[in-house]
Amino acid sequence: MSLIAVVLMVFVGLPHVTSATAQQMPPPQALKNEGIATPGGSVRPPVGAVNLPGSASSVRRPGDPAAGGSVPPPDHARGDQSISDEFWSRIRHGQRGDVVLHSPGNRVLIQSSGEDWRLLRNRQVARYGAMALLGVLAAIVLFYLLRGRIKIKGGRTGRVIPRFSLAQRITHWFAATLVVLLGISGLIILFGKSILLPVLGPQAFSLVASAAMQGHNLFGPLFLAAVLGLLVFFLKGNVPRAVDVSWFFKGGGLLGGHASAGKYNAGQKIWFLLTIVLGFAICVSGFVLLFPDALADRTQAQLANLAHGIAALIFIAAGLGHAYIGSLGMEGAFEAMSVGTVDENWAKEHHDLWYAEHKGEATTDYVRAEVSAGAAGDGLMRGVRP
Amino acid sequence: MIKFIEGPLWYVALTVFIVGVAWRLMALLTMKRPNDLSEARLPRGGAGGALKALVQHSIPHGGNLGRTLYHFLTGYMFHIGLFILVLFAAPHVEFIQKHLIGADIGWPKLPRWAFIIAAEAAFAGLILLYVHRLTDPVKKQLSDIDDHLGVWLTFIVMLTGCLALQEAHAGLRAFHMLSVEALLIYLPFSRLIHAFTFAFARARTGATYGRRGFTP
Repeated sequence: MSLIAVVLMVFVGLPHVTSATAQQMPPPQALKNEGIATPGGSVRPPVGAVNLPGSASSVRRPGDPAAGGSVPPPDHARGDQSISDEFWSRIRHGQRGDVVLHSPGNRVLIQSSGEDWRLLRNRQVARYGAMALLGVLAAIVLFYLLRGRIKIKGGRTGRVIPRFSLAQRITHWFAATLVVLLGISGLIILFGKSILLPVLGPQAFSLVASAAMQGHNLFGPLFLAAVLGLLVFFLKGNVPRAVDVSWFFKGGGLLGGHASAGKYNAGQKIWFLLTIVLGFAICVSGFVLLFPDALADRTQAQLANLAHGIAALIFIAAGLGHAYIGSLGMEGAFEAMSVGTVDENWAKEHHDLWYAEHKGEATTDYVRAEVSAGAAGDGLMRGVRP
Repeated sequence: MIKFIEGPLWYVALTVFIVGVAWRLMALLTMKRPNDLSEARLPRGGAGGALKALVQHSIPHGGNLGRTLYHFLTGYMFHIGLFILVLFAAPHVEFIQKHLIGADIGWPKLPRWAFIIAAEAAFAGLILLYVHRLTDPVKKQLSDIDDHLGVWLTFIVMLTGCLALQEAHAGLRAFHMLSVEALLIYLPFSRLIHAFTFAFARARTGATYGRRGFTP
């Protein structure tokens, strides 16, 4: 508010007014008719309230000694002309002025496109985002009810194969931790006002929203390090191959028949691509939002906000599917990221091409396999260790 | 409730912390050493060994850089970040002046950008260290409930502190104070006491070996 006041006070040739006054002000003509002073306008008493010359009057025209006036009019007075209409119009259309605080965005008193951004964010993005998230959750529940947990068809063999190195698993869980922290705080920021505010009340919601914003801003920059780590440690094996096309046509095996796959199937490759592309989009737009005063104008911050929200919502929706299939949805999948090894039959059923290359490493010695996985995963990341 | 957290409970927690740490340090310093009847291999080998161990065990040495680089980086990120936050964060300096010293302590207060960098480093270090503890096949076998509780308490203290950074809500500050008090009460009786004992422990080990003419 003080910033707006400063901006107002130094607008060249424009009279002073507080932003609150400007926002709540009725049309200038209506004010004049009511006899209320308008910024930059003249004071005009209501019709009939002023006594005409010759009649007994306590109202004196300023600067008219004959009428008893003793105070000369200010130099900028324009009599019955008002510049308030022009004044308001210029502000409303983004007139730039001179300011004491030299930040480009501060030159504009009212940025009208901000209202478009607000409506887009609060209506379209929030509405469709909520629908997308709820839709994905409903689809997961429905899939679980219809299909149940995907079991290892041949049962566990008791022999395991090293799959993910310690460096890969640490990077994955570091990123996952941040996604949870940033996801929760981000959803509070986006949906809190419409969902939490009616439940918690203004005071408690204010506390939660303030905490969410601080947490989100704090953990945000770390997400860039996580995305870079994921790119480095998971790029190998995630390059598209011809076999990915047939995996798609078979719906990953859900539409019947066995779908061949290497270390990562086509679904995992798309998830990797989404993680990297959306991850960087979220990071870049997030950094823009962390330093809004460095931008040329507010429009860039508003665009960044929309991009940030949309990318994050898509990422969270896809991430819910990833989290489900990697834990509750598929037997044997979670171990790959927790201990770094997978059962031989799991590998054969879900990643047969990768299994063919690594079946010689299958062992009943779980501890040795876990240590081996920790050091070098399946060999792809040999030499990279935390 | 907030008055209780910031009043009597704070003083109880602080008393338990001070008495507990003093008791642990006294126990460590008065611990009896086994008789060593052998002659010292080096003159003043004990003191030299203690000093050498203090320095040497704080950096990768003996060709172990590759094996210890991860812990070296994440460990220092966390500990230095936390140290800076605890002692130099502006709200902490004001708190120390108001509630502990009662006078201007003359320490510099961190500007906001420096606070953010220290907090980022501390959080990244703590999360990376804990994920390693959970996934490393050896380390997870060595970890017990004390290790997990210590990490979680520290994380919660850091998190609540950063969530209250705006200093706009007394409730957020109260959450932070409450978690700090839990940590103060828990610290002396857990492995977190290493914050005070690590130097003594390293020096003692170094002195024992230094007397024998070898500091590992």
